[in-house]
Amino acid sequence: MDDVIRMTRAQPVHLVVLALIGLVVLVGMYSSDRFATPLNFANVQDQMVALALVALAQTIVILSGGIDLSYAGALGLLTVVFASIAGEDPSTFAAAVVAVLALGAFIGAINGGIVTFVGIHPLIVTLGTSTILSGLALLITRQPTGSVPLFFEDLVYGRFGMVPYGTIFTLVLYLLAGFLLWKTRFGLRVYAIGDNEQAASISGVPVKSTKLIVYALSGFLAAITAIYICGRFGVGDPRAGVGFDLKSITPVIVGGTLLAGGRGGVLGTLLAVIVLALLANVLNFMNVSSFYQWIAEGLIIIAAVSIFVGRKSK
Amino acid sequence: MTMSALFGKNSGTVRAQQNRELLMLTGFLIVIWAITTALSPRFLSPANLSDILLQAAPLGFVVIGQMIVIIVRGLDLSVASIMATVAVLSIGLNDNTGVIFAVGILLGALIGAINGYLVAYRGVTPFLATLATMIVLQGVRFAYTGGAPGGTLPDAFRWLATGNIYGIPVALILLGVVAVAAHWLLEYTVYGRRLKLYGDNPDAAYMTGAPTRLLVVSAFMISGILAGLAGLVLVGYVGIVDNWTGRGYELDSIAAAVIGGAALSGGKGSVPGVLLATLVLVSLFNIVVILGLSIELQLVIKGSLIVLAAAVYMRRSRR
Repeated sequence: MDDVIRMTRAQPVHLVVLALIGLVVLVGMYSSDRFATPLNFANVQDQMVALALVALAQTIVILSGGIDLSYAGALGLLTVVFASIAGEDPSTFAAAVVAVLALGAFIGAINGGIVTFVGIHPLIVTLGTSTILSGLALLITRQPTGSVPLFFEDLVYGRFGMVPYGTIFTLVLYLLAGFLLWKTRFGLRVYAIGDNEQAASISGVPVKSTKLIVYALSGFLAAITAIYICGRFGVGDPRAGVGFDLKSITPVIVGGTLLAGGRGGVLGTLLAVIVLALLANVLNFMNVSSFYQWIAEGLIIIAAVSIFVGRKSK
Repeated sequence: MTMSALFGKNSGTVRAQQNRELLMLTGFLIVIWAITTALSPRFLSPANLSDILLQAAPLGFVVIGQMIVIIVRGLDLSVASIMATVAVLSIGLNDNTGVIFAVGILLGALIGAINGYLVAYRGVTPFLATLATMIVLQGVRFAYTGGAPGGTLPDAFRWLATGNIYGIPVALILLGVVAVAAHWLLEYTVYGRRLKLYGDNPDAAYMTGAPTRLLVVSAFMISGILAGLAGLVLVGYVGIVDNWTGRGYELDSIAAAVIGGAALSGGKGSVPGVLLATLVLVSLFNIVVILGLSIELQLVIKGSLIVLAAAVYMRRSRR
């Protein structure tokens, strides 16, 4: 167990990613005067909240040895449902939040239920449910629909000085997740299952219920993300989640969490999200077309996994 | 080394199980075709059937490659990106049909070799390696085309995808040749046996002296080549080069491979099975259109079917 605890704390990986952040910031400062301004940094933070939230969910699932590709469909359906229920009337807002959080957890629980009790590979399960969920979202509406109360939009766009509320909210969630993973029995079980499911099962870890909770938690966090996205765009869009399935995995891996599970943590993911957001921002300042940004993103994934994986494989 | 020495008495039961799966898929296909014909007689018209087959052809190439990768415990998420990249680059560079195909095949093999190298020699998970190449290729082809692909399609090229010989579409003949070759390779050669053995038990394959890393690289190369071919055939069918040619084929091909009996845990898969599954998938898409149901329902049906099929096969293969 000491091993597990040590692995979740600061690692060389974090230093590498921190160094990358420093490098990107230096390049950014060199390329434009407007880069290192509070306004631009606030902007970058606004851009990364949604990705940070989904990546947090993905980190927990991957740590447990699974994977969740259902965000593409789930986010679409959840935003549509939320914006439809919430409307502009503040009185239904609380009900909409509760309903969507419950729906998110329910979707996750279905994923987890099929993975654990039917025994299908999570890749296939969540791919399937993602397709179903985006179909359902599009059946409800083909165009963006619904709306959110004004006070909620003010909240999402609000800033504490130059720090968006969204950033503070994200940091709190990461702290909570860190606490859950490092300081609770549930967290240790997640790591144990991800490391070696059979060994965990033999040593008395309730593997099935733990995995079920992991996927439900993932759906719950996806619902939080969906509510945030609604606040940013003011509508529910059935295509809001497109791309988030694969996008959510990049920061997890770049942050040093092993795709095989059992090693890594949320701190690495958070740092990686920051690197990726800053990098996109700097490339924009340098007028690099998004075509080359894709190439950069792919090469970063290859570099990151080649370095981290090379250590573990035989 | 003969196959009976490798597989002994087991090969009989594996065959029997594969035959059962083929029968189930055929039965399922007949049932959905019968129901659709009852609801809309238009379904069984020669024009519609030939539409189904022509639409199944490009996916068929990709599925065979995807299955071979899955047999060696891999997964190829880059197939759709390969399709578009090969189509955009090889057609953009030249307008001679022979050269287009030669460049396309070489390009597909090269990309597959990169995937295979990352997986076999660098120890990168197939999921991530092919995800990364998918994104890189996307950037490469958009950068090359500046967002607007160009080039002209020679007539001979279009004929390969839409023409026919004695009434049989050329694309299907091409697919047939590839399918027979792949089937022969998998079932009747040492190479095929080694692929399956590696998927079953990599350590055992290594012990028998099989060049395991090269096996994995070759599987990804086959997938890359077939994806490139599929991209060219699809472009020939549609008549337009597009930066998003083949979008969605990565997931469709995985779905068809799994429904067709390939196990994600490796070692299992047959060409007839995955081709039947391809036909089932394409038929389902077609049925939604023929019955005038909304396209959105396609997604719900497809997703449910993937999970359902996986559930059926998981129960069977569990010991």
